[in-house]
Amino acid sequence: MADVKSLFWKIFVSFWLALILFAGLSLWATSHYLENIREETSRSQPRNNTIQYIRQARVLAEGADTKKLQRWLTQLDKREAIPYLLIDRHGHDYLNRQVPFYLQQRVRRMEHKYEDEHEDDDDDEYRNRRPHHRPIMINGQRYRLMPDFRSITLHRVLSRPRAIATPILLAALISGFICLLLARYLTAPIGRLRQATQKLAEGDLTQRVSPSMGKRKDEIVELANDFDYMAEQLQALVGSHKQLLRDASHELRSPLARLQVALGLARQRGDESTTQELDRIEREAERLNELIGQLLTLARLEASTTEIELNTIELSTLLEQIVDDAAFEARATNRDVKITQTMPVTVQGNNVLISSALENVVRNAIRYTAEETMVEVLLKDDNDNPGWIIIKVRDHGPGIPEQMLESIFEPFVRVGEARDRQRGGYGLGLAIAKRAISLHGGKMTAVNEDDGLSILICLPFRH
Amino acid sequence: MHRVLLADDDVELTEMLAEYLGQEGFEVDAAHDGKAALQKALENHYELIVLDVMMPELNGFDVLRQLRTQSQVPVLMLTARGEDVDSIVGLEIGADDYLAKPCNPRVLVAHMRAILRRSEPVTGNTAATADVLTIGDLELQRGARRVLLDHQAVTMTSTEYRVLEVLLEEAGHVVSKQDMSMRALGRELNLYDRSLDMHVSNLRKKLGPLADGEERIKTIRGVGYQYTHLNSRQESGG
Repeated sequence: MADVKSLFWKIFVSFWLALILFAGLSLWATSHYLENIREETSRSQPRNNTIQYIRQARVLAEGADTKKLQRWLTQLDKREAIPYLLIDRHGHDYLNRQVPFYLQQRVRRMEHKYEDEHEDDDDDEYRNRRPHHRPIMINGQRYRLMPDFRSITLHRVLSRPRAIATPILLAALISGFICLLLARYLTAPIGRLRQATQKLAEGDLTQRVSPSMGKRKDEIVELANDFDYMAEQLQALVGSHKQLLRDASHELRSPLARLQVALGLARQRGDESTTQELDRIEREAERLNELIGQLLTLARLEASTTEIELNTIELSTLLEQIVDDAAFEARATNRDVKITQTMPVTVQGNNVLISSALENVVRNAIRYTAEETMVEVLLKDDNDNPGWIIIKVRDHGPGIPEQMLESIFEPFVRVGEARDRQRGGYGLGLAIAKRAISLHGGKMTAVNEDDGLSILICLPFRH
Repeated sequence: MHRVLLADDDVELTEMLAEYLGQEGFEVDAAHDGKAALQKALENHYELIVLDVMMPELNGFDVLRQLRTQSQVPVLMLTARGEDVDSIVGLEIGADDYLAKPCNPRVLVAHMRAILRRSEPVTGNTAATADVLTIGDLELQRGARRVLLDHQAVTMTSTEYRVLEVLLEEAGHVVSKQDMSMRALGRELNLYDRSLDMHVSNLRKKLGPLADGEERIKTIRGVGYQYTHLNSRQESGG
C-alpha cells in the first residue's frame, strides 16, 4: 500500500477525486446561482425574468381569467427558486401565501409613490420608463408581482433542479466519464488474465500475461506476474513428467532389443521342451514393445505443436483399407467390421497420424464388441457443422459408464480392470487417437448407444 | 555366406545378433560407432549393411549420406521405435529399407534376405525376359544391373533399381502398391509404409522428367504407380 502506483491508491484517489469534484461543482453551481440573485437585489434594475413575468401576469390579468392566473402563479412557484408573490395594496398575496414584512412595507411605499406620481407624471412616459412599477389590475384592484429574494433557501433551490441543471449535469457527466475510465482501466487486464486462465485450463501451458500489461505497476500486474510464474512452474512440471516418461520409454528399448535377440538365440538352440515358454516370452516381449511404441508415439504427439507434414488424404479409401485389414483379424475372433455408409471426401492431414487414429478406434471397437456382432463404420457429412465430416465407429459391446465418457481418452484409463487386461487393451490407443485428431483441429467424443458405444471423430475438410 | 556389416553402438546386442545371424547364414562384421562403420563400409565389400540411426561420433544418417557418395551397397536402417520420421529421412537419403528397433530378430532376418534377393543378379529365365529393357531415353541392363539415361549411367541403390525394373516391365500400365511391394521389396505393404513413395521419389529425382517435360513416373492416387510410356500416352491421348 506504500506504493503510490498501487491499485489501492488508484481506486482510493480516483473515487475521492470524483466525489470531491461532483460535490464541489454542485456547491459551486448553487452558490453561484444564489450569488447572482443576491447581486440582482442590490441593483435597482430587476432581472429580465422578473420583467417578463410581470408582463405575463399582466396579460393574464387582462384576460380576467382568475383560474388561469392562479394556475400560472402556482407553476411559476414550482419552477422558480425565488418565490414570486402577487401582492395587493394591503399586503396580501393573491394565492394567500405568507408575505414577509419587508415586502408589505415595500408595497405600501410603492402605493404611496404611485398615488403621488400618478397625479404628476405623464402616464405614457412613466409606463415606458419603469413598466414594472406599474401595478397589475385585477378586478379593479392593484396588485404587484414581487420576487421574494430573502425567502430563497438552499432547499428551494435544490428542490427545483431546473435552476441549476446545467452545471449539475456537467458535473455528473465529467465524474461519470472519470469513473468509466477508471472501471475500464481496472477491468481490462482482469479480462486478459481470465482469458489466459481459460487457455491454461484447456492445456495451453505457454500462456503468459505480463508482456500485455504495459507499464502498469499495481496489484493486477503483480497478479499477472504470479500467474506467469505459476504457468512456468506448471509447464516445467508437466514437461519434466513427460520427459521422464519419454526417457524411460527410450531406455526400455535397449534391454528389450537384447531380450528379443536372446530369445531368438534360445530358439535357435532348438530345445523342444521350452518352445511353449519361449512362445510366451516372445508374445509378452511383443506386447512390451508395442506398449513402448505407443508411449513414445503419445509423448511425441504431445510434444509436437503444429508442425505436422500434411498430405491430401482420400478418407473413404483410407477407411476401406483400415477396415479390410481389421476385418481379417475380427473374423478370427468371430466378430466382423463393415463400412455401412461412406462418401468420397478428402482432408488435409498427416497420413500416418490419421491412419493410426482411425485404426486405433476401429481395433478398439472390435475388441469390445460382443461375439457374433459387427462393428459399423460410417463416414458422413456433419449436418450440424458445415465443412466438417463425422466418422462414426459403433460397437455392440458393454458400453461404458456415463461418467467415463470423457476420461476414456486419457492415457491408461480403464473402464473395468480385469476385463480390459484380458482383452489386451493398454489404455493408450484412444489417447493417441484423440491427440492425433486434435492436432488436425478435429474433435473426438464417445456416446453410449442402446447396446454399445459409438466413437465420433469430427474433422474439418477443405475442398 | 552373406557378408554383412552390423553398425550399432550397443556392444552386447551386436554380439548376440552376430551369433544369431551367424546361425542364419550371415558372416557378421561389427562396428560400434559411426566413424568406424563408415570406414569399414568403404574399405570392405559387404553385401548388406545394417545401420542403426543412434550412434556416437557419426549418426546413422550421416554415415549413409557419406556412404552414398561412393557406394550403392544395400543398407537396412534400424530406426528407433516411436520416431516414424526417421524412417522417411533414411529412405530419402538412400536406405533400401528400414526396421523399427527393437524388433524380433526373425523379422530382421526376413528383411535382410528380401534386400539381398533384390540385389542378386537375375539368374535363369533370361530367355523370357530380355537382357536389356529400353524405353524412350532409358536403358536398363539387367545383367550388369545398370541404368543408362541418354547413354549416361545413373547410380542407384539395388532397391531403387528393382522398383524401376518393375515399373519398366509394366511400362504404360499401372502397378499397384501392393504388387510393387511384393515384387520390388519382397514383402507385404504395411498400412503406414512410406518406403515405396520414398523410393519412387528418389527415382524421380535421379531420372528427372521426360524429354517433353512430362512426368516420368506417375502416382495414381489410391492405386499405384505408372511409368509413362509412348503407348500409354497415345492411349490416353486418343
